[in-house]
Amino acid sequence: MDTEARSTQDFSDEEVEILKEIMNIAFGQSASDLAEVIDTHVVLAVPFIKIMQVPELPVYIKEHVKKFKQISIVEQKFWGKFKGDALLIFSSGSGKALINMLQSDDRRGMDTGPVDILERETLMEVGNILIGACVGKLAELLHDIVTYTPPLVLVEKEYEEAITSGHYDPEKTAIVLKTDFLFERGNVSGFLFLVTSNESIKWLRDALKIFIEQYE
Amino acid sequence: MIKKILIVDDSPIARKMLKSCLPKDQGYEFHEAVDGKEGCEKYTRIRPDITFMDLTMPVMTGYEAIEEIVKNDINALIIVVTADVQMKAIKRVLDLGAYMVLKKPLKREEIQSALLKAQDTLQKAE
Repeated sequence: MDTEARSTQDFSDEEVEILKEIMNIAFGQSASDLAEVIDTHVVLAVPFIKIMQVPELPVYIKEHVKKFKQISIVEQKFWGKFKGDALLIFSSGSGKALINMLQSDDRRGMDTGPVDILERETLMEVGNILIGACVGKLAELLHDIVTYTPPLVLVEKEYEEAITSGHYDPEKTAIVLKTDFLFERGNVSGFLFLVTSNESIKWLRDALKIFIEQYE
Repeated sequence: MIKKILIVDDSPIARKMLKSCLPKDQGYEFHEAVDGKEGCEKYTRIRPDITFMDLTMPVMTGYEAIEEIVKNDINALIIVVTADVQMKAIKRVLDLGAYMVLKKPLKREEIQSALLKAQDTLQKAE
């Protein structure tokens, strides 16, 4: 185990708690941004943080999504001093439910093009709002600026097929920030995973210290 | 006069952040609870002048705790401190009887102005 990986696992309880609180604030912001677009309340859960070696990651994610028959994924990479991957995983049927929620009443039932394209675009748009607002707020709280790759979307795949082991660099350590969400209307639920590698660790630790110093 | 303050939040960091924003020279007596259930129990036992309440908590949410507290004490002054700033969440807690809602992360000026307002409300009630 290299020095950086070891230091990751040595995150103190206080650092983990600060990160959880910041994630809580950031996802609260993104839920609020989304609620302005879709007329629903997003029910939030207490965020969870786990530090693990990257090869453990697909198994961990699969364990959380296996209750869904199929899943849709929106993935965006982000980079600044804080960098990593955001994976937004939706339960089966979420794309179609979101189409209904986003279409205004006067457009409902009108031909708006092939459903699979519309579903992909809807998931991309919702994913972009949730990920952008959450990662953006997180970066703002830690005095960073991040940029994003365009979102990648996988629609209605078996979870075994969608989450593959070859996806991440096995040499890295991942900090997984997980938040569950449930839309009160429309039967949409899922998880947001932020996976950041050990390259961001030193910066992250310093940024957490600066954040909490405001409240000392 | 505000004397007893109850802070209900599952996050020790959030409780610490909140306490740090409160004036140090007022001789407040602080009590803390880690979820809504413990918050209700401590409320009944302590009868705080003000309760700061998070919403997203394990065991019992802030929504449930507000409902329970207000059911037993219609004059409870509950200030919701939350990251969930969706309009529906704010409306729901105000409908349940919360006194006001503050958004995380907290700012000292907002907390102090909320305390002044609560102080005023308490004095009018006396």
